Amino acid sequence: MSYLAAVLPTIQTLRDRLDAVDYLADEGMASALFCAVRLPQPLLLEGEAGVGKTEAAKAIAAVLGTPLIRLQCYEGIDASEALYEWNYQRQLLSIRLAEASGKAVHESELFGPDYLIARPLLQAIQHPGPTSAVLLIDEIDRADDEFEAFLFELLAESSLTIPELGTQHAIHPPIVILTSNRTRDLHDALKRRCLYHWIGYPDLHRAIAIIRRRVPASTISLAAQVAAAVDRLRTLDIQKAPGIAEAINWTLALDLLGISSLDESSALTTLGSVLKYREDIDVAKERGLAWIAGGS
Amino acid sequence: MRGSLGVADLADRGLAGVDLAAAVAGLAQLLHQAGVPVSPDRAGRLAVAIDVAAPATNDDLYWLGRVTLSSSPTEIEIYDRVFHQVFRGIWDPADFRGDANTPSSKSTQRGNSQPGLNGDDRASRPSSTPSPTLPSGTANAPAAQDEAGESVLAAMSSDERLRTQQFATMTPEELAQLQRLMSRLTLAPPPRRSRRSVRHHGGSTIDLRASMQRSLRTSGDPVELVRRRRRTRQRRLVLLCDISGSMEPYARAYLQLLHSAVGGANAEAFVFATRLTRVTRMMRNTNPNHALYHAGRAAPDWSGGTRIGPAIKAFNDNFGRRGMARNAILVVVSDGWERDDPALLGREMERLSRLAYRVIWVNPRKAADGFQPTVGGMAAALPHVDAFVSGHSLAAIDELLAAIAVT
Repeated sequence: MSYLAAVLPTIQTLRDRLDAVDYLADEGMASALFCAVRLPQPLLLEGEAGVGKTEAAKAIAAVLGTPLIRLQCYEGIDASEALYEWNYQRQLLSIRLAEASGKAVHESELFGPDYLIARPLLQAIQHPGPTSAVLLIDEIDRADDEFEAFLFELLAESSLTIPELGTQHAIHPPIVILTSNRTRDLHDALKRRCLYHWIGYPDLHRAIAIIRRRVPASTISLAAQVAAAVDRLRTLDIQKAPGIAEAINWTLALDLLGISSLDESSALTTLGSVLKYREDIDVAKERGLAWIAGGS
Repeated sequence: MRGSLGVADLADRGLAGVDLAAAVAGLAQLLHQAGVPVSPDRAGRLAVAIDVAAPATNDDLYWLGRVTLSSSPTEIEIYDRVFHQVFRGIWDPADFRGDANTPSSKSTQRGNSQPGLNGDDRASRPSSTPSPTLPSGTANAPAAQDEAGESVLAAMSSDERLRTQQFATMTPEELAQLQRLMSRLTLAPPPRRSRRSVRHHGGSTIDLRASMQRSLRTSGDPVELVRRRRRTRQRRLVLLCDISGSMEPYARAYLQLLHSAVGGANAEAFVFATRLTRVTRMMRNTNPNHALYHAGRAAPDWSGGTRIGPAIKAFNDNFGRRGMARNAILVVVSDGWERDDPALLGREMERLSRLAYRVIWVNPRKAADGFQPTVGGMAAALPHVDAFVSGHSLAAIDELLAAIAVT
């Protein structure tokens, strides 16, 4: 832990270092990540799609120079996909081999570390260092609620219990970041173990800075136009308000087409990179492409 | 709260003159009173965070507190106000005595934003019984029972009569009786295939782990293969209940249904009049009176005007699209008296029907003589509804249960 304290003494240092890996964190995000690393405590990130929840985990891993271990959750995910699994084929082969060579094979040998396949959560626990790994448990709300219970031991104790091998304690407790899209309420028991941060849409200045950082080829005027246009689109009555990810994609698309200034015709050709519902595109067109491009 | 906060140190670092330890303790206490469950370990976490991060300004402290003490957007809303009171203004604990009305951010912020709406809307609506059927709950019901002890006894012996009596004409005692009958209802949404698998002799995939273990009995030869197949799960059930003025006679009965659905079928429950409120959490309370009381407190728009379209839209945008409505059984309980543009309701119902497995509309007024679903909102919604049932009495609820159970 003293290593982390030395690397990240203050929130501002963390902010600067996130900046250096092209992640522009606002004060809230920086505070949340700082607490997650230094307390240390798992951090639950929520927010609209495309505001940079997953990016935050990648960025903190880059700052600390440690691997990012990612577990994408889905309905039906269970212990053998998230924690560990025994290598059955290899076990069978060993038995056969022992049989053929007339040797005895002991059960404790078959259920030993050699035959264990570590899935993401166990990988994070077993990470040899020198710094803690960053464990990203992505879209936890997609897993069914029974799955949350698998996480409690890891979140609270940084350890995992494998019946055949006993409890595995982490040498370097992983920095755990969970993300959720709020499709269902997470259990209180899970929330209680986590810090919480809600990521909102960035303000105009930050949005421009992020776009320019992510699309270095873009000019400041194009970035400003796109950021302002996305801001305006969010005020419309649409189903899926564009996030910062869509703003970046839009700028990339415009840049690819060699467009240096957003106007009616370029907005029309590239609107599909920022609005993903036909109804939303209709609403935007109705409001006027000129308004989207220029605000009048 | 830790005693060794180093208040003097912190004051030196910039938050001059603020007794942080006391202020943090006050913050935690006020938050607790305002409905954010601040447990000792959360408060302790904030103390550690302050120690580690050494906040220099109010803003720093704001973020540390928000990250450690809150755990949902609603709680953030409350946190913002409480923090503001403690650290940015003069705070008076007397304002925050945990009174029913004070802490609810919604009632202060949004409820008042449409002052004229509730009153004139209710006047223009048919509201047959202005009786206190709302879940003023715990305080109200027992008192009423004492007054009319005899009629309670009469109702006890007449479940049958109660079954066919319209909800609208029930007395509070009969409603209490209804509670008991409703709690026996079983809501059985049809199953769907889950991604999760379960051991089954006729399954299509082989369970390697179990087969391996079994093979140890036959000296390592996998003689007997253990198989698995996909499990089935109950479909999600989502209930949206109209609690506007015109639905007032039915509201109590349907909240009861919401309560049994949440408890029995793991349903998600929402209520709406002028805005949408998620009440699943309150409805989980096993005591129905408490559940209804808390749900009533959570929704600031009781007996207000109806804005069904915007409510369905809010559901689609914030919950349905994200996954709650996908492949679910969706039940809307409303009389379809739409105050806003019916076209919006039509559009949103269409979206909803694309997301959901089945959409069921319950209209208690359907049973009334001469009812024609031509009221603007109802007519717009009907084309996108899979089943349209009345549900004006407990017997009619059977119709709803049947509609839910259709596969």
